[in-house]
Amino acid sequence: MIKQAEQTNIAAEPVARSESIQDAGTTNTGEQKQATGKQLVAIIFILSLATKMFLLPIFLIQSTGRDAYIIVSVFCAFDLITLAITLVTMRLANVDFFELITSVTGKVGAKIIVSVIGIFLFFKLNISVAEILAFYGTNVFTDFDTSLMVIVLLVFLAAAGTHTLRALCRLNELLVPLIVLCLFILVSIVVMTGFDLANIFPAVRDPGDFSDGLVHYGSWIGDFTPLVLFIGRTKTKKRTGIFAVASGTIGSAVAVFFALVLSAAFGNVPSLVDSTTNLSNILQFTVGNMYGRLDMFSSILWSVSVFIEAALFFYSTCRCISFVIGKNTHVIISLCTSVAVYAVQVFALIDPTIFSTVVTSLACSVTVPIITLAIPVLALICALISRKRQRLLK
Amino acid sequence: MKLKLTVEKKLLIYKILLFIFAFFIAFMPTTAMRSKEVNSRVIVEILGIDCGEKVSLTAQYVMPTESQGTTSKDTVTVESGSLTEAVEMLNTALGRRAELGHCSMVVIGSDVKPEILGSLMTVTDVTADVYVSAAKDKAEDFVSDITEFMKKTGATDADFIAYGAKRAHVATNTLLGFLSDLGSASESTFIPVVEMIEEQPDGGSGGDSDGSSGEESGGGKSGESGSGGDSKQIGMKVERLALYGKDGRRGILERDSARGVAWVSSPIEKGTITADIEFNGKTIEGLSGRLIKKHSSVKTSGRGKATVKVKAYIEPTGDKFNEIGAANSLKATAALKNGFAEKIESEIDRAFFDALSLGCDPLFIGRQFYRYDPDYFESTFDLNNVSVNYDIEIVIK
Repeated sequence: MIKQAEQTNIAAEPVARSESIQDAGTTNTGEQKQATGKQLVAIIFILSLATKMFLLPIFLIQSTGRDAYIIVSVFCAFDLITLAITLVTMRLANVDFFELITSVTGKVGAKIIVSVIGIFLFFKLNISVAEILAFYGTNVFTDFDTSLMVIVLLVFLAAAGTHTLRALCRLNELLVPLIVLCLFILVSIVVMTGFDLANIFPAVRDPGDFSDGLVHYGSWIGDFTPLVLFIGRTKTKKRTGIFAVASGTIGSAVAVFFALVLSAAFGNVPSLVDSTTNLSNILQFTVGNMYGRLDMFSSILWSVSVFIEAALFFYSTCRCISFVIGKNTHVIISLCTSVAVYAVQVFALIDPTIFSTVVTSLACSVTVPIITLAIPVLALICALISRKRQRLLK
Repeated sequence: MKLKLTVEKKLLIYKILLFIFAFFIAFMPTTAMRSKEVNSRVIVEILGIDCGEKVSLTAQYVMPTESQGTTSKDTVTVESGSLTEAVEMLNTALGRRAELGHCSMVVIGSDVKPEILGSLMTVTDVTADVYVSAAKDKAEDFVSDITEFMKKTGATDADFIAYGAKRAHVATNTLLGFLSDLGSASESTFIPVVEMIEEQPDGGSGGDSDGSSGEESGGGKSGESGSGGDSKQIGMKVERLALYGKDGRRGILERDSARGVAWVSSPIEKGTITADIEFNGKTIEGLSGRLIKKHSSVKTSGRGKATVKVKAYIEPTGDKFNEIGAANSLKATAALKNGFAEKIESEIDRAFFDALSLGCDPLFIGRQFYRYDPDYFESTFDLNNVSVNYDIEIVIK
């Protein structure tokens, strides 16, 4: 016990220093701003399923038909590998991500690398925001103008950007039980009503379409990337890693299960699926009006999870900008990032065709998985080098 | 005095405020705009579609009015070159936005091409879960008749048609189910045919106008919808099944065959079964049972062989059941099981062959071959050459 307490103190001290880089300007102390192991597990669960349950299965069904769930599984497996690398880095590193790469690559090198990561996170942020707008714009607030709806969302994101990682983790902690309950209700309805899941067979009858799907939808990979900000800032315990991996695996399994249900429902008629299609429609189709709109209620609540993911991407983008420009004016950075997101969403991506063309382009689909893997690998290499240096100094 | 709050208390206040905010966001817009929305919309409950040279839409609608809790139910028919235009014309005809998201039944006429239902699902607000039924001829006639019937009986929810079909042991289908079945390897699907039972002015002697069934059903004799100006609708009949291929309606399965499809391909609740039982050298006719639940599946065993499996939980009813003493005799129970199993088998067998003659596969045997042996399906599969076996298990409750 004493040993463990000592370890925690050892970890807290450098974190307090690192907070001056990432979160200076806020009123919290370094110790208060750390995420706990439980919060990390909760965040991983949300990240593992949030955006993989919105437009990705729909796009994949349109292009590959009933094999969409296999591609979602491949993407989830890829993300789980990056998660495992990030978790290993968390065990090895004492300092936060920015300090870690600065210590290894130097200040200029670190700024260049963080700029690339920032652009990547900004891209992922825009995918999440576009998905939120597509889902709410077509399913919930059909008469609400998208250019106004995005402002409401950006107010929330800007607020997230000015707060600490700990605040985000607390918000997530509050919502996770509700989201888990809703997921449980949705899964129960699917299982109890005897959905015809056998319609996913036969698998991979058209290898050409399948490989196209695999190649063109890589932009949805990389949901765990913001976790690099948890490096050196999380109070991990002995079993945190196991719980974190379990959480990511369960979340991914849920995402694959829902993709499988959609694939089975639309496997014969992939041309009928569009952005208005969601799990709620399918459950309503399966169960009729037996449960009223319990499914819809659950779907809406569950969809809140994507806000957390968007907030985390926004927060991470802001922190990258903050590091690159060397200033901790979080309010101004958040406002500028919000304006940039607004411009992208309203002027560049307002047409869904442009959105799908950009995110499914070969350039994006190949670059995103490479960067997704490169970030945790880089962090791991830096952690190993840093560790080796510390040993040599001793 | 300055009030200093602890971190825990601040957190609690934040949580409460968050829930209040969530509640406000979730309910405020609809509450604030309810009266405006109600007055600017009209809710379509049943939609009838006919296709001739033009697409004809007949909507049974409910018009909410200013006064609390009052509505008026009526029908309107519009015609246009395409479905999208017809929906727009519906809005114009009603002077409000026709809310199709609450439509609980789509009735299609005999000349409707299935692809129009794909457009219905993608370009309108009609949901995937809406029940689809077939009118014997024109959907417009049926929607008008059923509206009059609903007004007379005070029925407010069109779901009662699907409910009636399930109780009558007839297979039902939804819009997505219909399209998905057609898109499957079997390339065929089914929907129940809904007809009105009419009482003739000469004292209720109206017959089954098409002369196909000849069996008594429900509370009266059946007649063709709209067949006589002086006839009066006294009920609804759902006992036949319309079969569809990709090109449109292929034909109609009569009562026994329709029941056969329901055993295998559709969820049914609390249907009844009547069978003749051989027991102690005697034939006991018309022994009835109530279906409690069923499980069914189609298994493919090797190339060209399929087995239809049904496990039915049946509760025998009536005095004839007591007469054979099945409650206390294993032999009588076995006879009962045999009788019910033979009846179910005969209904499924009839469904298979009647559908086959129409070039349809409502038991989805072809789809099953495609799922588990796609190479065989794409190379040599022919439903006419498939040997179908039946494995019927009866559990007496």
